[in-house]
Amino acid sequence: MSHSEKAAIFNKNEAKVNWHDKALWFVREKRDTAAHKVKGWEYLRELASGIKANVLSNLDNYLIEFETNAVKNGIKVHWASNAEEHNKIVHSILSENNATKVVKSKSMLTEECHLNPYLESKDIEVIDTDLGERIVQLAKETPSHIVLPAIHKTKEEVDELFQKHLGTKPSNGNPEYLTNEARKHLRNKFLNADAAITGVNFAIAETGGIVVCTNEGNADMGAHLAKVHIACMGIEKIIPKEAHLGVFLRLLARSATGQPITTYSSHFNKPALGTEMHIVIVDNGRTEQLSREDFRSSLHCIRCGACMNTCPIYRRSGGHSYDATIPGPIGSILSPGKDLTKHSSLPFASTLCGSCTNVCPVKINIHEQLYKWRQLIVKDVKQPLIKKTILKIMGKVLARPKLYAIFGKSARWMLTYAPRFMVYSKLNTWGKSRELPKIENGNFDQWYKNRNKNG
Amino acid sequence: METLINGIKTEIKMGRASILKSIKENKPAFISIPEIDIDFFKEEIDFLETFKINVELVGGNITELSELKHLNTEIKNKYPKAKRIVSDISASNLGTVSITKETDPHTLENVDLAIIKAEFGIVENGSVWISEDYFPIRILPFITNDLVIILSKKELCLHMHDAYKIISDRERTFGLFISGPSKTADIEQCLVIGAQGAMSLTIFLV
Repeated sequence: MSHSEKAAIFNKNEAKVNWHDKALWFVREKRDTAAHKVKGWEYLRELASGIKANVLSNLDNYLIEFETNAVKNGIKVHWASNAEEHNKIVHSILSENNATKVVKSKSMLTEECHLNPYLESKDIEVIDTDLGERIVQLAKETPSHIVLPAIHKTKEEVDELFQKHLGTKPSNGNPEYLTNEARKHLRNKFLNADAAITGVNFAIAETGGIVVCTNEGNADMGAHLAKVHIACMGIEKIIPKEAHLGVFLRLLARSATGQPITTYSSHFNKPALGTEMHIVIVDNGRTEQLSREDFRSSLHCIRCGACMNTCPIYRRSGGHSYDATIPGPIGSILSPGKDLTKHSSLPFASTLCGSCTNVCPVKINIHEQLYKWRQLIVKDVKQPLIKKTILKIMGKVLARPKLYAIFGKSARWMLTYAPRFMVYSKLNTWGKSRELPKIENGNFDQWYKNRNKNG
Repeated sequence: METLINGIKTEIKMGRASILKSIKENKPAFISIPEIDIDFFKEEIDFLETFKINVELVGGNITELSELKHLNTEIKNKYPKAKRIVSDISASNLGTVSITKETDPHTLENVDLAIIKAEFGIVENGSVWISEDYFPIRILPFITNDLVIILSKKELCLHMHDAYKIISDRERTFGLFISGPSKTADIEQCLVIGAQGAMSLTIFLV
């Protein structure tokens, strides 16, 4: 199903769409307030973009430097070319440690690799411990937003889910009660876990350490209780020096939720006494994206989600309509690189208004890349017949002034006199949920000529 | 089992070589790292007042003490019900549960209150840096029901760039910036304090 078809399903519940739209716009406004408080915000964005550009141009050496330093500190480093290798490595670490109960904190990479179903097929229990991720896990869904995974769920839906799976009492969706029940449920899981899996926000070449950011404290609750900590990261998470964290940590939370910093920004450099720490470095299509000059900078992304919160299409179509691990504008330039045919409708799920580019903390030119993908897609992927034909006709009409005048005249006549069923036919997708404008007083051309005559 | 593990070890090597080779072939020409000019971020603000405002903004409490000798009384007033208390001795002697590096972290499950000394605070975001040097078990600031941070008023820096300068020479094991109590807004964007970590955080400024 294309993005627009899935978006149509999401739009059936108008009240929910309106809520979704407003809730995300509110987050965007909080981001603005937070950003405006920082002196030199634009300079920070430039620095972040420049540092990331340097990273990509020297990525192999930084990864080797990172590995050397991490190993020196007693961390075990693994490399995976693709999702399958990643999942096998994680499983082998777990089986070496006889681990059957795993707690996991947010990691879009493990979502991308479909780690949970893989481990479950090997009889390993995997519990997502970020509250939003636990909600979608119980609902057997995927996150619809990378920072707010359950933004598509109402509190009443969460209430029902918790009643069914956690045995809670009906509460009309009381967020305090539900969060507290989840806390008790997850405490028990943390205390009994054999291993913890976390993502990585930043990996520092200079020190071999990693930084993990959360608001809930779930990554730390997992990593410091279990005997084994496995951190999974894409190759692009590297930054050269620890001092660069000063730039990225100032940008990340402000861009994501409007907080000045996440509650916890944990710096892991050495495993604790009697525990093991593993880092799995994953490619899974990233080096291929690195090869594409036009799309390379999409690898700058620090996964803040600001482009989703601001996007008029995302806010009104919901994350699931993108049918990709990373939804929204950034996902729409990352996903076609993985599977152009499957994700061919995504670069069209945009108004190209450029708002995503304006808020991106690492200055990715998202809307320009969306436009570039469109040009590649119309060449490579079959387009719907109606769209193709109409665009062809319009191309011819717009290139010929006389034909354009006739076309304009007949369109105005149609809008004034033709019956509704003809004007709002299937061909007119614009008119699906909109009224076309009323025609008044002829056309611009006539008006302009008359104006000249009258002086 | 043996072959499985060996089999995977070979794959790991292949993964490393092929990833590095692919990066080498696909990366753009070298682009130099920008220097961070922190003069851009200079601000003439009242450190103490701004820090206090930002601590409250991130959901934390802050109490300024006139004298260090009132510390224990103030903590007891604030957390009268706390029975199982782990305290870093350099901060306070209210501790009732003692821990060492060998303590099983799971035994801290029912700790009511942890008292930890922060090395310094960051004005721009109301966070403090705490490190393993002041809490022998890493889980402590997360698993405790409530968290008290002791911070010297003199130890404040303006922003994260200065913060990383201060910690640049540390012995790197485990440390974190912590700002306010654990929180979530994952249910309909309603902010709830007390997700998986500490339910409250109070900073005592001395």
